[in-house]
Amino acid sequence: MSLEIIAAIIAKTTNCKIEDVKPESKLTELGLSSLDTITMLFELEEAFDIEIPNEVISSIVTVNDILGKLNDLDRSA
Amino acid sequence: MATRRVMITGLGAISGLGLNLQNFWDGLSTGRSAISPLDFPIDDVKISLGATVPEFNPDEYFTASELTILDRYSQLAVIAAQEAVNDSGLVRGGSILTDAATIIGSACGGKHTDEATYEQLYKKNRTRAHPLTIPKGMPSAAASMVSLHLGTRGPAFGLSSACASGSHAIIQGMSMIQSGMIEVALVGASDAPFTYGLLKSWDALRVASDDTCRPFCKDRSGMVLGEGAGMLVLESEEHAKNRGAKIYAELAGCGMTSDAGHITRPDILGITNAIENALHHANLYPDDIDYINAHGTGTIVNDATETEAINRVFGYHAKDLAVTSTKSMHGHALGASSALELVASALAIYNETIPPTANFTVADETCDLDYVPNEARHKVIRAAVSNSFAFGGLNAVVALKRYT
Repeated sequence: MSLEIIAAIIAKTTNCKIEDVKPESKLTELGLSSLDTITMLFELEEAFDIEIPNEVISSIVTVNDILGKLNDLDRSA
Repeated sequence: MATRRVMITGLGAISGLGLNLQNFWDGLSTGRSAISPLDFPIDDVKISLGATVPEFNPDEYFTASELTILDRYSQLAVIAAQEAVNDSGLVRGGSILTDAATIIGSACGGKHTDEATYEQLYKKNRTRAHPLTIPKGMPSAAASMVSLHLGTRGPAFGLSSACASGSHAIIQGMSMIQSGMIEVALVGASDAPFTYGLLKSWDALRVASDDTCRPFCKDRSGMVLGEGAGMLVLESEEHAKNRGAKIYAELAGCGMTSDAGHITRPDILGITNAIENALHHANLYPDDIDYINAHGTGTIVNDATETEAINRVFGYHAKDLAVTSTKSMHGHALGASSALELVASALAIYNETIPPTANFTVADETCDLDYVPNEARHKVIRAAVSNSFAFGGLNAVVALKRYT
């Protein structure tokens, strides 16, 4: 899964700069509220044609966490 | 400025707890949760729980002809409004009821009707919409239908402020009586959100629990949708006393604020200001309050924020308060919830019984108040507050006083 796509989706959701989205960036530091996070997950589901279960939300803190979860979902698909 | 006092003289409720007010109170006072698996599971909907009205057969209440123009949310509104009017002792055709205001809130309006038509158009490629789609589905349909069925010919309109719709409708009726505009108001709210489109949309918000609704608990996992209607007859004190009406409680004051902030995240300042304004408007001190019917949705953010707001407003007295969420029993019936919760609060004062927070396990560390876990408590309630904090930051708090 591509960091570039995730960064673009986060940047669109929060109006931050794409280059500010690093793997180690915390979503809260990028300005994502809980509603923003849910919106971002929807955009990711649409972009990658996957289903992200509710249970993963509480364990997503950084951009890296998203990459990890998406890779897990990719492997289990 | 001295204003006229407003009394609650009639109540009606249809909800997950049953078809009438007695069912509602029996459920609340025994801590029975109406939340159960949906009996109409839809394959691609994740939400599997709800508090739907049990054993509801519209044919027992309405003729086939009447049902052609009654969306489910209007059916619930009319049934609860009829019960509230019967309870008040007012009669259709009498000048009192004829002149009454009718103000009915709803978060969703007639979505069953809208979605049925849209399904025909978008999914089944039909080219004609049903001609009653607009009058049946419009957000003011319930207000019109209650007025039509009860013969109320005073000021009438629908009102929408998401989950605070019922509280705002009740406050509007109260204000009209206080100002001298009217003597009697039929107020409340109705919602019937178990439609495919709404369930999918709530799914997308990822706030619905797949366990149950456990407000203020460490293991709470979100809200559970409900449906229903709560209705109240409001009356000026003079009018109610002159006709010897039964008085459940005094509708003593209100506080309304807007967060002017985030569209879904509650704001502590907006909430605390709404509660403080309600106390001030009702000429109550924090120490006067014995019971708070909380907004208490069971989401992580709401319950922690609401608890903090109560601690800020009530200070040392916060620990002496009973704070319960009846959503644990009737579910979150959206706009109708705030009306059902005011009905619950009036009944709590009248019956000297605090309904519990059902499904309670262990309190969260951010939630440090007395939530009356699982079992109702006998208590003479001097005054109570009912909180409603809607999506969009629209806050409405109503204060009730025991009438002696």
